[in-house]
Amino acid sequence: MDETKQVDRREFLATLAAAQGAFVLGFWVPTRAAAQTASGLSSTDQSPAPEINAWIVIAPDDTVTVRIAQTELGQGVWTSNAMMVCEELQCDWKKVRPEYASANRDAREKAPQWTLNVPGNGAADPNGGGEPTFGNRDPRGISGIPDSLYRRMRTNAASSVKDGRYYLQLAGAEARERLLLAAAAQWSVPVTELAARDSVITHRPSGRTTTYGRIADRAAKTPHPHPERITIKSPDQWTLMGTEQKNLDVPLKVTGGLVYGIDVRLPGMKWAAVKSCPVYGGDVKSFNFDAVRNLPGVRSVVKFPVPDPDLTRGRIFSGGVAIVADSWYQAKTAIDRMPIEWSIPPEHAAFTTANMQGALITALGQPGTVRASYGDVDAAFARAAKIVEATYSTPYLPRARMEPGNATVLVVNDRVDIWIGDQSPQETRFSASKITGVPEQNVHLHLCHLGGGFGRNGNGPQAEHAIMVANANRGVPIHLLWTREEDFIGTTYRAMGMARLKAALDADGWPIAIEVRTAMQEGGFGSDASFNTVSRYYVPNYRYTHHATKFHVPVGTRRGIGQAANEFYRESFIDELAHAAGKDPYRYRRELIGRTNLPYKADMITALDMAAEMSGWGSPLPRGKARAIALEERGAETNGMATISAMVHTVSVSRDGKVRLERVDVAHETGFGLVNPLSVKKQIEGQIVWFYNDAMHQACTIADGHIVENNFNTFPISRINEDPPEINIRFFPTAHWLIGMGHDRATSVQSAIGDAIFQITGKRYRDLPYSRHDLSWG
Amino acid sequence: MAFDLTVNRTLHHVDADPQTPLLWVIRDQIGLTGTKFSCGIGQCGACTVHVDGRAVRSCSVPASIAIGKPILTIEGVSSDGSHPIQLAWKEFDTPQCGYCQSGMIMSALALLQQRPSPTDAEIDASVTNACRCGTYHRIRQAIHRASALMKA
Repeated sequence: MDETKQVDRREFLATLAAAQGAFVLGFWVPTRAAAQTASGLSSTDQSPAPEINAWIVIAPDDTVTVRIAQTELGQGVWTSNAMMVCEELQCDWKKVRPEYASANRDAREKAPQWTLNVPGNGAADPNGGGEPTFGNRDPRGISGIPDSLYRRMRTNAASSVKDGRYYLQLAGAEARERLLLAAAAQWSVPVTELAARDSVITHRPSGRTTTYGRIADRAAKTPHPHPERITIKSPDQWTLMGTEQKNLDVPLKVTGGLVYGIDVRLPGMKWAAVKSCPVYGGDVKSFNFDAVRNLPGVRSVVKFPVPDPDLTRGRIFSGGVAIVADSWYQAKTAIDRMPIEWSIPPEHAAFTTANMQGALITALGQPGTVRASYGDVDAAFARAAKIVEATYSTPYLPRARMEPGNATVLVVNDRVDIWIGDQSPQETRFSASKITGVPEQNVHLHLCHLGGGFGRNGNGPQAEHAIMVANANRGVPIHLLWTREEDFIGTTYRAMGMARLKAALDADGWPIAIEVRTAMQEGGFGSDASFNTVSRYYVPNYRYTHHATKFHVPVGTRRGIGQAANEFYRESFIDELAHAAGKDPYRYRRELIGRTNLPYKADMITALDMAAEMSGWGSPLPRGKARAIALEERGAETNGMATISAMVHTVSVSRDGKVRLERVDVAHETGFGLVNPLSVKKQIEGQIVWFYNDAMHQACTIADGHIVENNFNTFPISRINEDPPEINIRFFPTAHWLIGMGHDRATSVQSAIGDAIFQITGKRYRDLPYSRHDLSWG
Repeated sequence: MAFDLTVNRTLHHVDADPQTPLLWVIRDQIGLTGTKFSCGIGQCGACTVHVDGRAVRSCSVPASIAIGKPILTIEGVSSDGSHPIQLAWKEFDTPQCGYCQSGMIMSALALLQQRPSPTDAEIDASVTNACRCGTYHRIRQAIHRASALMKA
């Protein structure tokens, strides 16, 4: 690399330490001292505050640092995870400071034995840890690494509370017990005579007190004799969990002070802009760097291959080229002007939305894989009083988070440092090691908050691009940033899908058979959600068949995954059945749920009743307005963890076809307890907007094998003028642990707007988004 | 080429092409990273700053248009979060990921400076930034609250 001096690790870290004053990364970044100790360098910093266990550090002034192994991307995990620790720690909540857990330590240390056993008896035990799900051991951490220090560092599937609660509570309890043991030893009194509250330990008989800060050093050296006997508080004992707590990082988000990955600045850092082949699986045939090498600031060019699918969970992205320059805008200007020729697989270039939809329709007519079947469906259809059939479709959908993909990477001979907002740092650590040859134990991630997540990271190759470019520029920190258009290439998509639902109704309009066929690209996530195992709406004869097709678009875990599409199909179809039967869609649902033996049927009925009652269901509305109801559930087919809600959407459609979501009434279960009900409300509000966009506006189409809509002019995001003026949220208690609520609530917006359009205009549209249709009437 | 810009009441000497979008001069030359890049085509408003008191999408205007005019970025609203609009934003715990919120606050502040008691329709017409997390419901409440606080 011309003109750029190679720096060695020691020099770089010294420069970085010296620059700390100007280089304010904020409070969440692991301290430089920790990073230096980890890499075997001597630290010149003052001795760090005592670490009680891997989650908790307590400073002499009682400041409690809580290490968070999940990534904050707006869902509030920074606060809710800290609440779970501090509920048990019984510290002063006003002095709690979260920071990211070290993915490097996670590569070098095993989890304490006492965190490995989940207390209690599963989803129905209020005193226990629920049903966390860790997948099989996988060195990439796709499902979490069951015995690594922080186990599951991935942030996905609305699982941060479900998977983390029991061991975060345990971590807080273990630290509290050791603080008490240390105080008891110091005062030579029985530990049973001590009480802890708000970081103060009181010896009850004498009234003598000390603070966590004063006893922390001793506690750090006091092991617990029987950590396996520590229990966690049940919800009736919670004092912090279950209360509405404002998010701890919000103050930094109103001053511009919070540093996202894109804001990382390092001494000697250079910028990289990228162009990758717009058709997946394509690569660079040729490029002419000479045409741009003399533009201002331009340093070098790096060609990179299609990222190894083993690093991107089997998905095939594209090869590309990066230009390195002094500033990102210089790099972007140069790469925009650089002639590049692509080498595109012809079979991929042949894909279009039309022929892919054709393939899905063809698939629906083939045998497929039967995923659930009971009764005699064919016999029931033969004696039906009425048959209703409908075919629905949903498009490819990206996440389109606001912060475009980026990562800053420094590779030196024996160490990799990565500054990134990342939903799966364990996978990125694995990638860094594979690409550079540096062992994972020497890979250091400096985690940042994400400017939106929605399932993106660990699926798209932002980190891999940056690591490849930095590996070709060893000794120089490289900040690689995608343009918005590149971000649409580098993301994964929710798979395009179709469904054909067919019901046989009896003379009273009740279903005697339902046949569901879904078709989705192979690898699409959650393809069997909502229809698996058993019909949620009672029917004696049921068959659910899935058809997988092969397309070239990389598909992944977008918010809501397949469940969002499948609930759109299912709830739309139930509305259609109710109309065909001449029955009220709320009462029709209620009756059919009531006829089942589903373990949570009472909860589903409560949700429907509460949402209907909140909305004034049945009261007259003016012409041009309508209400529609839908059930949302994950996990209702069994008696494990689940989340159940129902929503009523009041929608208006003007005569010239303008849709407005006027009001949303939400009934949502709490399970045994919500950790932070304020965050839950915010997540519900946000998902109403998310699925409103899916329903009304958003779709990516394919032409000549590439994604057509690749910025916000062609891929619209709704604005405040489309936000529902009224949102009412009510919670009701239920007797199981929740499975999560961060990605699959408010899917009902999709079917409800469709049914309201039908009620008002008489037109039934079964393909999203609705804005592509003429919705005018009268 | 070199030119001067006045950002948050401080004069900065900038050595860059004056045709560089204002956003990149603010972020990379002046080093104020609170103003965000997202779409690069003036669609989403994450890059909103004030130039001469008016909300501008800084990714889509050259830095030269701001020469000789006061520029206000999120960092200039107040660094300690004590401005009424920031207090209102915190009261409703408005941000989720927070990435769009700098631009959102700058758009709302420009509206409040022109219309101290904006109606919902005026908010709809003026605050046209995109938020992918869907924080609009709290943004609207926070704007009304900021209006009250700014008059107090």
